[in-house]
Amino acid sequence: MTSGVGSIDLSFWQLGLALLLVGVLVVISARQRLGLERDLAIGALRTLVQLYLVGLILAAVFSAAQWYWVLLILVVMAAIATHAAVSRLAKPIPGIFWIAATALTVSTAATLTYVIGVVVRPHPWWEPQYLIPIAGMILGNSMTSAALAGERLQGDLAARHDQVEARLALGFSGREAVQPLVRASLRAAMIPTVNGMMTVGLVQLPGMMTGQILAGASPLVAIRYQIVVVFMQGVATALGSLMFVRLATSRYLTPAHQLRRYLL
Amino acid sequence: MSLGVAPSPAPGPIFQVEHLSLAYPGRRGQPPAQILTDVSVAVERGGALTLVGPSGSGKSSLLRCLNRLEEPTGGTVVFDGRAFTEWDPRELRRRAALVLQTPVLFEGTVRDNLSLRAMKVALDCSEGRLCETLAEVGLEAGVLDREAATLSGGEKQRVTIARALLRKPQALLLDEPTSALDPPNATLVVETVCRLRRARGLTVVVVTHSPELVRQLGGALLYLVKGRVQSYERLDGDPSGAIADQRLQAFLAGVHP
Repeated sequence: MTSGVGSIDLSFWQLGLALLLVGVLVVISARQRLGLERDLAIGALRTLVQLYLVGLILAAVFSAAQWYWVLLILVVMAAIATHAAVSRLAKPIPGIFWIAATALTVSTAATLTYVIGVVVRPHPWWEPQYLIPIAGMILGNSMTSAALAGERLQGDLAARHDQVEARLALGFSGREAVQPLVRASLRAAMIPTVNGMMTVGLVQLPGMMTGQILAGASPLVAIRYQIVVVFMQGVATALGSLMFVRLATSRYLTPAHQLRRYLL
Repeated sequence: MSLGVAPSPAPGPIFQVEHLSLAYPGRRGQPPAQILTDVSVAVERGGALTLVGPSGSGKSSLLRCLNRLEEPTGGTVVFDGRAFTEWDPRELRRRAALVLQTPVLFEGTVRDNLSLRAMKVALDCSEGRLCETLAEVGLEAGVLDREAATLSGGEKQRVTIARALLRKPQALLLDEPTSALDPPNATLVVETVCRLRRARGLTVVVVTHSPELVRQLGGALLYLVKGRVQSYERLDGDPSGAIADQRLQAFLAGVHP
């Protein structure tokens, strides 16, 4: 059952054994009356179906080796990430989907260009084996940070709009008036990443590194990739949340330095 | 009532509100919410105007149109001879200073709060000027280095008034300045506002539920109901005798409309 460099190819039979773990979850949920059995079953099914579909699609894209298929995959990933980032907002903000789409696309493209074009340098540059997983990690971080920052910004605007208006009334520009809230949102978005950098490798081996080691790569190669990934995720977090918050606050402010209170 | 002060030499009222209307866009296909409809009123230089009416009648919104914190959907506000759209909103807000209902003080000392200023805006925050301004609102210079959070409600409100005064405004806009205060503190704020009007020749526009403030301040009274002007009265001489509108009489007698 060993294949290639040294990783074990899992059979359907082995996957079935893993599914028993979900059975344990269901038993726990039932005995503790958590009421999660249905969700667990659906979740397990979705995990199977979604990952299988992704596996099939990626295998097809890898073997087709055409840049436009890679691009299409990236666009679909960005659309899903955008939807997930804005779906957590408590109140709708007009135009927020395109704001999030812009913030995630630009921050991901900028980070990706540097990591792929300057640091990793695969040939061809759009080599799906590198581009897709790396883009996915960047996008995932931008998405989470944009969602965290957006949630915090919205909550703060609702709770502290009188402070914003007090500053406006003192003759501050709209941008100056929301600056303390913007700062708080960016900190809220970045703190998990910064904390993650403090303990990386000590508490839990990062997913990508784990995957590479399982696939038979030397840990010394795996950590180098992981270091690039950590720094890249830091930048993606900062850029994603910064762009999202800047663009989102512009929806709350008017050119005449007013706060659109009816959006709060 | 005689004002006793010769204010600015420029002619015309300081605020000229004409056919003002304000509506908020409706949510998800609902019709827009009409806040103000066809409001016209003038405030002379050094004069006073009190806005009264039931809650939700648009008093605060009207006040906020005067310094353009709200954007009117129709009509115009002329401030000091220029339409509100011709002013840089930031400049307009320094000249027509708004004090909010709940005093907003930021982290830091009273001094930090008073010297708060926008970038690229000059503000005289010398010790002398800070103390002088605090004295105008009846506070001792000793509070300057106290943490703003430790002040009482009345002190906080007077610090926010002092903060507005430091910007040398021509008009003071007050949104229910006494409603969050207990009676003794409310009286102190009422006295402060009335003294400022007399001593500085400051135009005062105030939203209030306090008959005490209306009586002491004088000037004119605008009664709003559902965003429309219900009546306008001048409070010259003995107010209770001159007022035709019964609800306003009741209001001045201390019965809240």
